[in-house]
Amino acid sequence: MENLFNLFVRSIFIDNMIFAYFLGMCSFLAVSKTVKTSVGLGIAVTFVLLVTAPVNWLVDTYLLKPGALIWLSEDFADLDLSYLSFMIFIAVIAAIVQLVEMVVEKFSPSLYNALGIFLPLIAVNCAILGVALFVQERDYHSIAEVTVYAGGSGIGWFLAIASLAAIREKITYSNIPKPLRGLGISFIITGLMAIAFMSFMGIKI
Amino acid sequence: MEHSNKYIFIYSVIMVVVVAVSLTIVAVQLKPAQEDNIRIEKMQNILASVNISTAEVQKKQVIDVYNKYIVSAEAVNIKGDVVESDQAKVFAIDMGSEIKKPIEDQRLPLFKATLDNGDIALIIPLRGKGLWGPVWGYISLKTDYNTVVGTIFDHKAETPGLGAEINQDWFTAPFKGKTLFSENGTFTSIQIVKGGAADDDPHGVDAISGGTITSKGVEKMIYDNLLSYQEYFKKMNNQ
Amino acid sequence: MSDSNTKAEKEPMFSAKVLKLLKNPLNLENPITVQVLGICSALAVTVQMKPAIVMALSVTIVTAFSNLIISSLRNTIPSRIRIIVQLVVVAALVIIVDQLLKAYVYDVSKKLSVFVGLIITNCILMGRLEAYAMGNKPWPSFVDGIGNGLGYGLILVLVAFFRELLGSGKIYGMKVIPQALYDSGYMDNGLMILPPMALITIGIIIWVQRSKTTELQED
Repeated sequence: MENLFNLFVRSIFIDNMIFAYFLGMCSFLAVSKTVKTSVGLGIAVTFVLLVTAPVNWLVDTYLLKPGALIWLSEDFADLDLSYLSFMIFIAVIAAIVQLVEMVVEKFSPSLYNALGIFLPLIAVNCAILGVALFVQERDYHSIAEVTVYAGGSGIGWFLAIASLAAIREKITYSNIPKPLRGLGISFIITGLMAIAFMSFMGIKI
Repeated sequence: MEHSNKYIFIYSVIMVVVVAVSLTIVAVQLKPAQEDNIRIEKMQNILASVNISTAEVQKKQVIDVYNKYIVSAEAVNIKGDVVESDQAKVFAIDMGSEIKKPIEDQRLPLFKATLDNGDIALIIPLRGKGLWGPVWGYISLKTDYNTVVGTIFDHKAETPGLGAEINQDWFTAPFKGKTLFSENGTFTSIQIVKGGAADDDPHGVDAISGGTITSKGVEKMIYDNLLSYQEYFKKMNNQ
Repeated sequence: MSDSNTKAEKEPMFSAKVLKLLKNPLNLENPITVQVLGICSALAVTVQMKPAIVMALSVTIVTAFSNLIISSLRNTIPSRIRIIVQLVVVAALVIIVDQLLKAYVYDVSKKLSVFVGLIITNCILMGRLEAYAMGNKPWPSFVDGIGNGLGYGLILVLVAFFRELLGSGKIYGMKVIPQALYDSGYMDNGLMILPPMALITIGIIIWVQRSKTTELQED
């Protein structure tokens, strides 16, 4: 349990998807102009991560890893399908995003109105595939670990995009050198925020 | 352009088949080269644990160097009995999956190297958990089964600049010459001491400041893995 | 005579229009600093030059060939499953590149770790496929892919150059800062090898670029 909590805190603050790995930057910079839209996207990303990461982990553990198909038959002990993992992961993500979109549309039109436009964007959000690949790479052992890590990463991403949006809303009134306006200053602010987040690294948990 | 469902269906089937076939061909073709890389890396690590650097050596020749120094390999069980003595099979044991088995079923590999000065060193693979993912390495002992000849560690995803430093020389070098047993013969393993070990501490080395959890993980890894070999050590010492 | 003939025939292959496809992404339409595409996988591999160059080459190859393939197929792809076809082609190419890296440059592929896989979701790819390859002939699409890959690579290598030089005093793994300088008190800047400096370096590159090319400035 203690371990899971550590993982959760670390994935939010220290291994933040944006500040430490720059994943999901494209939509991060494109959408983070107003707080409202970025909150919507943040929630959508967290939600999709919570669904896709465990599914991808299951697929990886029981279908793709070397010897993963052993539960089907002893003959498959040497079979290694891991070279297909990129393809399968992205397919699973695209399918689940599509599914989530349909389910949300059917059961909660108000939620759909809030999140709907973001969902198609998310299928190609690097953070989603990134989490799936990190889970594979780091060899997490249980579905609980994977879910906690996915949730933490999503919240970390949400936190980053919402706070950058808040800063960008204020900054429109500042007198920034012309060539730096827009994209340039966003990068530098993100960098400064990342430095601030690095102070969590020394935290003892 | 609007296409019929039938067209879409046939199109996707053809696409999937073409892609699957070409990927499988590529994967099968490249597999031997990839496995060679992994094998050679393992050999380099084993050699590095007895302080033989292969950084300057051509990839192909690593195998020759390995065969020159590593004379035999065997696997023992928790009771210290030899269960596998075929070198190739011992080499192929994957610690990651071995460690998940119940302790009675685990095969514990060890490699024997003859060093340039004629000494024999015993190399034991290690596997444990760091902060973010697996850490692993090798530790080599003198034939008194007590004194450390050298170590090497590596990791999958520790924090750069902090925990990731375990694969650096400054961290591994102090392990040389440390001992695993206290004077009255109890197993103490190696302690990784936060804030720095005393200069004359025979069992302690410096921890990484800021990399506490990784340091603890390495310490526990050495302890846990070597603990399994205790029966074997006793047997060998009695011989 | 025959020489000039063949030249005349080949001319359209590298016509001014095609050359522009190659040149524009390097500056005016740079995928990273102007189109804001593909930043995700760009920055994490820029601590050293070697992985950055390998990454840049991989992306260039994948962009060029996926553009080529999609452009050749563009009239047969059913529009309803367009995105999926594109994803499959891209994913297949990335898997091939990943397998090749693992087989031939193992040490670099370990450093790139998951970021090779993340080329799939690199927005440059889907962006160029949608914006260019779906509506143009294979050859210009191929060149467009190379141009964008190189534009991406240029920024990547530039960032890596500064980070490696200032962060560890090396260029492409070779020490360039003389020992004498260290002896007189110079120190490598440890901050440069940490993630935040990649963002700030890019911010500065954008600043410099936009000071020179004023039409890119935002209001």
